[in-house]
Order: sequence, then structure tokens, then C-alpha cells
Amino acid sequence: MKRTLPLLLSAALILAFAQAAMSQQDIKSLAPQAFGKLTRPAAQFNHEQHNEKAGLTDCVVCHHGGADGKIDKSASTEGTPCADCHKVKAEGKNTSLMNAYHKQCIGCHKAKGKGPLACGQCHKR
Amino acid sequence: MNAAYQFVTGPLAWAAWGIFLLGSAYRLISMYQLAKAKDPTAIAYMSWHFSLRSIINWLIPFNALGWRKSPAMTIATFAFHACLFLTPIFLVAHVLLWDQAFGVSYATIPDGAADIMTLVVIAACLYFAGRRLVQPEVRYITTPQDWLALIIVLAPFLTGFLAYHQAIDYDAMIILHVVAGEIMLAAIPFTRLSHMVFAVFTRAYMGSEFGGVRHARDW
Ligand code: HEC
Ligand code: HEC
Ligand code: HEC
Ligand code: HEC
Repeated sequence: MKRTLPLLLSAALILAFAQAAMSQQDIKSLAPQAFGKLTRPAAQFNHEQHNEKAGLTDCVVCHHGGADGKIDKSASTEGTPCADCHKVKAEGKNTSLMNAYHKQCIGCHKAKGKGPLACGQCHKR
Repeated sequence: MNAAYQFVTGPLAWAAWGIFLLGSAYRLISMYQLAKAKDPTAIAYMSWHFSLRSIINWLIPFNALGWRKSPAMTIATFAFHACLFLTPIFLVAHVLLWDQAFGVSYATIPDGAADIMTLVVIAACLYFAGRRLVQPEVRYITTPQDWLALIIVLAPFLTGFLAYHQAIDYDAMIILHVVAGEIMLAAIPFTRLSHMVFAVFTRAYMGSEFGGVRHARDW
């Protein structure tokens, strides 16, 4: 009994991580439920392949934290959906969900001179 | 691709808007000075009342005698001009670009409606072209300038439609579309499209002349 609890706990932890890793590897395109029915084809985003090709090893570049209108660029939040913090209809100066994606994705592609910029390059039919 | 896209949506877009706005101002000012030199009495006779009366009456479909004479052309021209203005201004993708560039955002029309309105513009362009080819009285007064204006207007809508549906080569089509739109903007002051800036003044002039001098309606 003394041994099974930590064993079970670590098994659960490993499973949780494995699942996160699995699902993150599984991402091929983005279609968060928060939008409801999408008006555009889901944006192409193969999580693993994208970050490998773009040389992104630091997860916090995209998975930042923050609360109450203040972004925290050092708190890593991988696994938390953007929609948990960014609302489809943002209040005041907060970044809406669509703008959060667009700013983050297009902003970096512009800065790097690589990666899609035009609507149809991400929202592929 | 990225360098080309950033060039046409950056410096080239600034240039097109600059040529459109400054060019239109230049054309209006030089036309005013020409009128002042050649036809000063007309300017003295300009009246708000008769001007607005003429403009408003011509804005109502089938109200003016000129509209009633050719019903098909009247329907085509009203549908064409309405869609020509509303579609690009209230298109979701265009409003998103204003938002991304300057943080300004406003009402949009659904993509499905914009798609149909784009087809209306394309169909109307084909109708205008057919009319210039087939109807002798129109064909007789058609100049290459008229064809140029028609092609300049058709191009951004045709390429926009193809880009939205990602037909043919999207990467090339989206750049063609942006450039076609910029050519249209820049061409407004210097082609037959200048009636966009002159139309209200033409109507005001006619309305004032008919109302104040001939004491008649001009519609
Ligand atoms: C280029 C930006 C970017 C980088 C870098 C990045 N991610 Fe993600 N990740 C995303 C996006 C976008 C999503 C989808 C989130 C959403 O739509 O809410 C996501 C989702 C996830 C998910 C959730 C998967 C699911 O199915 O719910 C996990 C876990 C994750 N990322 C882990 C990581 C880890 C670990 C790293 C660092 C090795 C990392 N990410 C780096 C953009 C990125
Ligand atoms: C834990 C909460 C949280 C999560 C998860 C989160 N964000 Fe944010 N984000 C914030 C806060 C808080 C701000 C600052 C206020 C604002 O702009 O709304 C912010 C700001 C932003 C900004 C604007 C930054 C700027 O400099 O203008 C972008 C873009 C953004 N987030 C994109 C994303 C994307 C894409 C995801 C998902 C991959 C994501 N965020 C996940 C909390 C979060
Ligand atoms: C921190 C920088 C960065 C962020 C953030 C980022 N990207 Fe990228 N992306 C890149 C780079 C760099 C490339 C070019 C990779 C290459 O081809 O060398 C790229 C390429 C792409 C490609 C083309 C992939 C291919 O196989 O050619 C797509 C699609 C893409 N990104 C989508 C997205 C989406 C969607 C997001 C937002 C969720 C996003 N990117 C966020 C840097 C970024
Ligand atoms: C770098 C990739 C990228 C580019 C370029 C891009 N988007 Fe997106 N867009 C996204 C992502 C990621 C989302 C959120 C996930 C989704 O909806 O697929 C999104 C969401 C949206 C949404 C809200 C969801 C929906 O379908 O109703 C709209 C509308 C949209 N984009 C329109 C556009 C338009 C118009 C353009 C061009 C002006 C554009 N996007 C350019 C990546 C991109």
C-alpha cells in the first residue's frame, strides 16, 4: 500500500504528460470550440512540425501567462487553451481570441520574414 | 513571397492611397480654377438648393427621366455602384487588415453576401462591355478610355473572387488582387473613373443651371 500510492501517482502523471504530448503532436490545424461554427477554413498548424521547422524550442514564446489585462511573458502555460484567457468578444483593451492568434502568428512571420501572411495561406480550403 | 506580399501591402499601398487622395484634390482644385477662369457666371449661379435637389432626384432609381428611358441599364448601374462601394469597404478581410494596421474596426458584411455582391459587380461589368459592343449608339461613342476604366474596375473583383475561393494559384492571385486594387485607387483621379469625384459637382452644376437659369427640372 505504501508503495502503490506513489506508483499510481507517478503513473497518472506520466499518463497526463504523455497525453499532453500526444495531443500536442496531434494538432494539425486549429479550430477552437469558442468560435462556434468557423467562417473560414481552420488554420493550418502542425504543432510539432511547425516548431521544429521554425526552430522554436522555448514554449513560452507562444504559451505565455498573465491575468487582469497584464501579460506575463515568463510564465509558461502550455496545455492551457488560448480561449481560456482570450475571449471571442474581448472587453475593453484586451486582445480578442481572433486577434490573439492573428497577432501572435502573423507578428512572428512578419518579423522572421518567413511563414504565411495572407489569409488563404493559413485558412487553406 | 513574403517580401513581395509585404511590399504590395506596405509601401505600394501607401503610394496608391497617396496618389488617389492627392490626385483627386489636385483634379478638383484645377477644375475649379478652370471654371473660375472660363465660366465665372456658372459659379455665381451655384445654389445649394438646386444642387441638392438634382443630386437627390438622380439618386432615386427610376425617378429621373434618364433612368426610365433604359430600365435594364438603370438596374445594372445601381446594383453595380452599390456593390462596387459596399463590398470592399465592409469586407471582413479588409476590415481585419485595417484593424491589424491601425487598430480601427467597424461593421462587416458576411462573406457569403460579399461573394454574391462581387459576382454582381463582375456580371454588371460584362453587361456594360456587351452593351458597348452590341448597341450601335453606345458603340459609336465608346473610346479606348472607356474600355480601360472597365478593365481597371473588373480586375480587383475578379482576382478577389478567385483568391477568396483559392482557385488557380493562391499566392500569385492574392498579390495580383492587391496590386489590381491599388491600380484602381491610383487610376481614379486620372481616368474615366474620375466621375467618382466629379459626379456630385456635375449634377450640382446642371441642377443649378436648370433650376436657377432655365427654371426647369433636370431629371
Ligand atoms: C508557435 C507557437 C507555439 C509554440 C512555440 C508552442 N506551442 Fe503549444 N500550442 C500552440 C497553439 C496555437 C496551441 C493550440 C492552443 C489553442 O488553440 O487554444 C497549442 C497547444 C498546445 C498543447 C495543448 C494540446 C491540446 O490538444 O490541447 C500543448 C500540451 C502544447 N501546446 C505544448 C507545447 C509545448 C510543450 C511547447 C514547447 C516545446 C509548445 N507547445 C510550443 C502554439 C505553440
Ligand atoms: C493564462 C492566460 C493566457 C493564456 C493561456 C494566453 N494568453 Fe495571451 N494574453 C494574456 C494576457 C493577460 C494578455 C494581456 C492582455 C490582453 O492583451 O488581452 C495577453 C496578451 C496577448 C497578446 C497581445 C500581446 C501584445 O503584445 O499585444 C497576444 C497576441 C496573445 N496574448 C496571444 C495568445 C495566444 C495565441 C495564446 C494561445 C497560444 C495565448 N495568448 C494564451 C493571457 C493569456
Ligand atoms: C515565434 C515565431 C512564430 C510564431 C509565433 C508562429 N510561427 Fe508559423 N512559422 C514561423 C517560421 C519561422 C516559419 C517558417 C518555417 C520555415 O519554412 O522555415 C513558420 C511557418 C508557418 C507555416 C508554414 C509551414 C510549412 O510547412 O511551410 C504555417 C502554416 C504557420 N507557420 C502557421 C502558424 C500559425 C497558425 C501560428 C499561430 C498559431 C504560427 N505559425 C505562429 C514562426 C512562427
Ligand atoms: C498566420 C496564419 C493566419 C493568417 C495569415 C490569417 N489567419 Fe485568421 N486565424 C488564424 C488562426 C490560428 C485562427 C484561430 C483558429 C481558427 O479559426 O482556425 C484564425 C481565426 C480567424 C477567424 C475567426 C474564426 C472563423 O473562422 O470565423 C477569422 C474570421 C479569420 N481568422 C480571418 C482571417 C482573414 C480574413 C485573414 C486575412 C486578412 C486571416 N484570417 C489571416 C490564423 C491566420
